[in-house]
Amino acid sequence: MNTKKWKSIGTVLGETNISEFYFSLKNYKAKKGDIITTESKIPSSEGNVIPVTVWGKISSIESSNVFFPTEAAQELTNENIDIRDTILPTTRDELICKVIILGFTLKDNLKLMPLNYPVRPAATVSYPSSEDVEALLISDLDSEHPLFIGSLLARDAVKIKIDADNLVSRHVSIFGMSGSGKTVMVRRIMDELLKKKYPMLVLDIHGDYLGFIQKQKKLYPNNEVKLFYPNLSVSSDDKEIIYTLIDKLGNSLTDPQKDFLSSLLEKVKYESGSLLKYIELLVRKAREYASDSSKSFKNIRPASMYVVVRSLGQVAKKLKNMEQTNFRHRQKMSKLKFEELPDAATEPEKIINKGQLSILYLKGYENLPASAIVSILLENLFKHRQEVEEEIPPFLTIIEEAHNFIPSRSEDKDNLPSVDTIRKVITEGRKFGTGIMIISQRPSRLDETIASQCNSQIVFRMVNQKDQRATTRDSETLSVDDSKQLPNLANGQGIISGQVVNFSLPVQIKFDAELINDDIGNENFISAVENWDDKESVKQRKKFAKDFSNITSIDRRRPN
Amino acid sequence: MNNETDIKNKIKSNSSLFTNFVKNAVSASPKVQNNFLDVSTQVALTIQKILEDADLITNLEYKGKDFWSENKCKTSCFVDGGVDKTSIISSAPLSIRTGSYIVKPDAADKNREFFEESMVFLGDLYDPKNELYDFAEDDFDEDQMLNKKKDGARIIFEAVTIVKHILLNRKFDYCFLHGPIEATVMPFTVMGFPTFTKFAVENMLPFYNKNKLNAEARHFIHVYLEALNSIKKSKFPIYGIVETSNSAPYIKNLLFNYKSKGTISEKDFKNTLATIKKYKITDSHLLEIILKSGQAIKPLEIKKQIKGFSVTSGSAWEDKMDSFPSVHIGYIKINDHSAPIRIESLNPSKNLIKDYEYILATARLLPNYGFPVGLNVVDKFAKIPNWMSKASRKYYATHLLKQAIRSKDQNTISLAVKILSKKVRSWRNRPLGGLAR
Repeated sequence: MNTKKWKSIGTVLGETNISEFYFSLKNYKAKKGDIITTESKIPSSEGNVIPVTVWGKISSIESSNVFFPTEAAQELTNENIDIRDTILPTTRDELICKVIILGFTLKDNLKLMPLNYPVRPAATVSYPSSEDVEALLISDLDSEHPLFIGSLLARDAVKIKIDADNLVSRHVSIFGMSGSGKTVMVRRIMDELLKKKYPMLVLDIHGDYLGFIQKQKKLYPNNEVKLFYPNLSVSSDDKEIIYTLIDKLGNSLTDPQKDFLSSLLEKVKYESGSLLKYIELLVRKAREYASDSSKSFKNIRPASMYVVVRSLGQVAKKLKNMEQTNFRHRQKMSKLKFEELPDAATEPEKIINKGQLSILYLKGYENLPASAIVSILLENLFKHRQEVEEEIPPFLTIIEEAHNFIPSRSEDKDNLPSVDTIRKVITEGRKFGTGIMIISQRPSRLDETIASQCNSQIVFRMVNQKDQRATTRDSETLSVDDSKQLPNLANGQGIISGQVVNFSLPVQIKFDAELINDDIGNENFISAVENWDDKESVKQRKKFAKDFSNITSIDRRRPN
Repeated sequence: MNNETDIKNKIKSNSSLFTNFVKNAVSASPKVQNNFLDVSTQVALTIQKILEDADLITNLEYKGKDFWSENKCKTSCFVDGGVDKTSIISSAPLSIRTGSYIVKPDAADKNREFFEESMVFLGDLYDPKNELYDFAEDDFDEDQMLNKKKDGARIIFEAVTIVKHILLNRKFDYCFLHGPIEATVMPFTVMGFPTFTKFAVENMLPFYNKNKLNAEARHFIHVYLEALNSIKKSKFPIYGIVETSNSAPYIKNLLFNYKSKGTISEKDFKNTLATIKKYKITDSHLLEIILKSGQAIKPLEIKKQIKGFSVTSGSAWEDKMDSFPSVHIGYIKINDHSAPIRIESLNPSKNLIKDYEYILATARLLPNYGFPVGLNVVDKFAKIPNWMSKASRKYYATHLLKQAIRSKDQNTISLAVKILSKKVRSWRNRPLGGLAR
């Protein structure tokens, strides 16, 4: 590290302490988020005074021109005067930067250590070379498996890497408004993990990750990328989930009707298989009990039983509809090969395998069934990781639109089966290698316990104050200054904090254009309407409709 | 509304006159208080008549956008001085600097504006080896002379800064000084006021009396006069601009001129002067009422250094004071709600209206305060900030205490501590009462 080559960009001001300082910046020499240094001296444990390099991050910059009076602005506006025509000073902006101290390094050792003695006021502030900043970040990260994700927001030349080990085991949350860059970030991480053959399971609601299937041969020839559609397969162990599903999806039941449903689930045995078939079986059985006034249900009137029958019919109909919707979406992407989700209880290796990326395409499913599917799936996979003889390797689950699966208590969507499952997996995941990545545009609507278990955060543009508060609440490393920056971030710009990086960093995420799913339109609906032309069948229908309308109007004509 | 009622209303709504009224209420007799409004009105009406009779009131034009696009090619220089106000027992630190703000609006960015620290002095006035005043024969080292010495140094620094610009052959269209172009020198004529050192004079006016810098030549009066004579020879117009006038030189001279012409009698002249003195009426007060926004009073040539005062009478400086150039004094009223500013120059203006319109335009950029914005800018630049004064005080305090500690004498140390803790009687140290702990 050649500190002599670093350019001097400012001077430390007035009072300093061990966590932050202010400095006066030369015009245009640094930006918010830049890493800077200042030379200082600290007492060593042996009682010597040793020179150190203190590293800091510019967390805010304020500019003022003390020579420009407010009154003058008023006159310039009222009289429409160009300031450049007047004698008012235009070049005396004073720039004051606030710096969050990251730590200090000793000569020839780039490991950052916490500063315990204030930096010297009036010291020179330097702008280290990109290579040195990158070297510091890498050395400080001390990662066996670094993942490249982008560049430092303020300096394109400084490449940013995060620690894969912490990422896959200690859970990550990715928050940001729609279109802010969350999916770009996830795709970037997936790309890197695929190269390391780390197994992943993606719960994809919108089909954002189907690009991996399309580009698999070209980009990931050594990986397996599988695309699954949900199969509502259940076993007798999943009684509670089945009960919740029927209870929530069907008509609302009275207490005696609920009792009947509960007893019905006890009586009608089912090993494992399709949920729909099981419900059809339940309908048959319930009808039998109702028609012969079964002795097993002395206290329940047949009328109540019929209500349950109707409700079960309703549930079956809804589930069929969802399956149909999902099927129609799949048909639109005929080039892609969808497979039915294997039974995670019996064939987990078909879902989680070394080098395999499994995408579960959930489009068309309502929250509750989707939650049930995810709950059963994760519960089974987690069990396999818990067993002494592990049948599947460690893996990472990526949960898109996480607020659908782990809503906050305040959302009043209690009893979503996935909440308890994910809470369990995220709490114990570190031991069993079942890391979770939760992605959401509404962090304030997420279950607080689960969100706070994520040791690393990647936050993108966020305007909603409630969401900003939730983000800082759940994070130990995201500062107030960082959160102030959130509304102003551009697409693909995010702040990474937590154990994957050691200290928060504003980053421009590398955009992997080749990983976009070509089959999902670009949401350019205006152009679609501009170029719209009715299909032939619609044209015919409109033509005949006019003829029929004429017949009706003649028919209704009053006789003279 | 007739003129009298109009003037009365103006007086009532006029803040500086109200301040004066309050001052009178505190110090003057009940009769003076009662008559204040009527007397002010009558004086204002009379002066207004004379000004109109002499055709001294003129209307200035201000067309904001058009004015600046026509005048953006002009180079202006604004000069002001700043003095550190710190004082500490046992030392008299003095920090003075003068700054210049030079601006040519239509020049490219890097050449558009310059802030120059034109003159700087840092030293201790108790230090016999200081480089500013020669204390070889200084009999007056009491505290009150310190302020006089500081003022003298500031005045000379400001004048010399302008001289420096002239000597460097700077191509200015205008040069403005924050304050009078020629200060009243009477306070510096007292016996024993120290002379400047040779070093100081040589640095301030390198061309001045190179061979015979004797004590007399190095006295404030001589050096200042030399500086003013150089300023008078400038090729570009130089104006001193004063924010508020605490005296009535313009009115007094106007009345004097009319008395000399025989238009007003000796008796009326004397009585009016006495009334002005009694009611503490100044140029600012009266012209604030008489002038309308954008109006100016054409300058009168006035002698600022008047001999015959007891301090100067019979002294060696009495004749010298006569040699000081007379000053052309005029006023411009920038807006309806502030007092007119005083414009001073050593030479009569060649383009009076254009020059005054330029001053008006620079002052309109501070539409409420009504003072040339360039002088406001250089004032902020030259001002010695508090943190600097604090730093110098800390430096002297540490120095004193270190010396005391080095002496190892308990009494000296406790004396030093007492000197440094000047606020022994501050409210924080008052004895507590009751149950207070």
